[in-house]
Amino acid sequence: MLVKSKYIGICLIVTLMILGIVILISASEKVTIKVWYPDEFGVKPKYVDQAAEAFRKDFPNVNLEIARFKLPPGDFKTKLLLALASGEGPDVIHYSGESNIAEFADAGYIVPLDEYVNAWPDYTQYPNAVKDGVTYDGHVYAIPYGLDMRWLYYNKNIFKAVGLPVPWQPKSWNDIINAAIVIKERAPDKIPYILYAGVAGSGGTLSHGFLPLFYGAGGQLYNYNTGKWIVNSSAYRKTLEHYRQAYLDYKLVPQEVMTLPKPWTTMRQKMFTGELGILCEGGWVYGGAIYTLGLEETEKMAGYTIMPSEDGKFFFTIGGSGTVWYVCSQSKHPELAWEYIKRFNSKEIVAKICLETPHPVARIDSANLPEYKAQKYLVDCTKALEYAKFLPLQSELNQVAYRIQLLTSRVASGETSIEEAMGKYVNEMKLDLGEDKVEITE
Amino acid sequence: MKRSHCFFWGILPAAVLIALFFITPAIWGVYTSLTNMALVGKAAKHLQFIGFQNYVRLFRDSAFFTSIINSMWYVVGGAIIGQFLLGLGLALFLEYTESNKIKGGNIVYGFVMLAWITPALVSGFEWGAMYDFYYGTLNNILKLFSLSKINWLGEVPMLSVIIANIWQGTAFTMLVLNSALKTIPFELYESAKIDGSSRWQSIRYITLPLIKNIAIVDLISITIATFGAFLMIMAITSGGPGMKTTTLSLYAYRSAFENYRIGYGCSISMILMIINLVFGLTYLKFLKKLS
Repeated sequence: MLVKSKYIGICLIVTLMILGIVILISASEKVTIKVWYPDEFGVKPKYVDQAAEAFRKDFPNVNLEIARFKLPPGDFKTKLLLALASGEGPDVIHYSGESNIAEFADAGYIVPLDEYVNAWPDYTQYPNAVKDGVTYDGHVYAIPYGLDMRWLYYNKNIFKAVGLPVPWQPKSWNDIINAAIVIKERAPDKIPYILYAGVAGSGGTLSHGFLPLFYGAGGQLYNYNTGKWIVNSSAYRKTLEHYRQAYLDYKLVPQEVMTLPKPWTTMRQKMFTGELGILCEGGWVYGGAIYTLGLEETEKMAGYTIMPSEDGKFFFTIGGSGTVWYVCSQSKHPELAWEYIKRFNSKEIVAKICLETPHPVARIDSANLPEYKAQKYLVDCTKALEYAKFLPLQSELNQVAYRIQLLTSRVASGETSIEEAMGKYVNEMKLDLGEDKVEITE
Repeated sequence: MKRSHCFFWGILPAAVLIALFFITPAIWGVYTSLTNMALVGKAAKHLQFIGFQNYVRLFRDSAFFTSIINSMWYVVGGAIIGQFLLGLGLALFLEYTESNKIKGGNIVYGFVMLAWITPALVSGFEWGAMYDFYYGTLNNILKLFSLSKINWLGEVPMLSVIIANIWQGTAFTMLVLNSALKTIPFELYESAKIDGSSRWQSIRYITLPLIKNIAIVDLISITIATFGAFLMIMAITSGGPGMKTTTLSLYAYRSAFENYRIGYGCSISMILMIINLVFGLTYLKFLKKLS
């Protein structure tokens, strides 16, 4: 009996000692802040590391773990969402803004930054339009650094070879179609025009293909007064008419755009290798060309202009908040996550990264730097943003984008008539969003 | 140890693995299809049991019906007509070359097997490169003969993906049926020959009846595999142009992992499972009738 209790006593002491050691180790463990960001091409690491260095200097006892994912944005999003759904999300998320802000906020994945930005003097350097682009439901949810906008690109060499004017500014949609017809007739080995359609075009179908036309036809996707999505209007028909002309009537856009796995990669390349005449794409495409070909070569080859409305009554671009920084709601130390974001979004880092991968800067003081002002392209981008129209920041936008991908491809492939495609689209939108969330205007 | 105990311990590891990796996900899939589970938006925060709402929605979704019709074309063209008939023909050819000691059978065997061992995604990209309008191998061959280019993926997208599917999947049927042919005693053919039977009559009355059981199992396998396959289509056409090559499995994937509606995606998968079950049962019933 005595031996037994002796054994029990020893076991208890050993257990308590082990527990004590575990508690001591965990208490002495550093706080860890995880930063996740996607980067396929290796442009961002040096800036992310620069911010990390500043962070580590100020918080030597915090363990900062930076994880770069060499994935396309869509794949990174799936990985991120699965991690968030299983409660394994990072502290700091770096990902595209726009519709994701509302989606992430509604899902409770990100926290409002109001209290942090109010205490951050640098936030006064952000113009109100930029602030609006990251505000959802009355709260600031993200910090942008380089903004997005879209250009109608044209290849100067092809234009000169077929006798089209350079510089070129189309005054209406007809001017675009006519220029593409000239390219088709006089340079039959070139692709005249690329207008993204279908699921393969992914987010580009909406923001580089459909919306630059739809807004130009006076269309409105979301009615902020009623809180409903507009699913049928004359702007839809005019836009789809342009798709039909480009794809079917004049065969200016090859059907491959709807079947290539990553059409934007192929088409951007074709634009800069002199095989493509006209392309509506993101501002970053020109930036990417400068990065790989150099400024001089890019300027020689590629022209850019803003989009005309259907009848040339106004000109505009599609703007966006670009890639932004979020604080994850699963972070145990959101204040430290914010400290990292602050350091990345300093005046110097924002200016440098936007100079290297040309983007309009989100901060006014970064735009005032002489080296930024010296770049014509960046000045043009900033100016074009004055005429920017934006995507509706609503949680359902990605679902709407998917249905628009189907809508455009049904027309562009000749699968259905415009009327039939519209009928299917209206039904699908009612199904996806609910009958009470959609409205029809004529 | 009793015989029944041996039996129990023998099947236990396999049963545990099947329960863990097949039955549990299937049950989870059924449950999820009855919820509004999503990875984004308000539904991600508030998981709700919504009964059969996803299924009701499915039957009002025109894209769902288009994807069912596309799947049927893909299975009938790719698996039943293409893979099965070509595989059967190749198996008979191999058997013929072997029994008559004709050279060349092994080369054909090697080529067909090469297609099979190539991963589906790699095959998909290879076929994508073959069909490419601008730089594709097929159009370059046409150019050699001064023929005009064909927009393979724009004009005949379903046929294009079916051909790619046949190219990759035929080896399985060839292997299975070739093995089945080897189980037929040679004496049967010799006696038939003595009785004056032609080669076609031998195939019709000896070969086909004797391999029918294995052929049905093969048909079930390739039908289920083709119905569930989406990598090849994803790599070649991404389901386009339009919805022209969007099959049920691709639509389920899109709903779950591109639109992040896991519940809706699972309900499509459940329908896929039911259709596969119907296919399997029909084949088995057909086999019973033949027997």
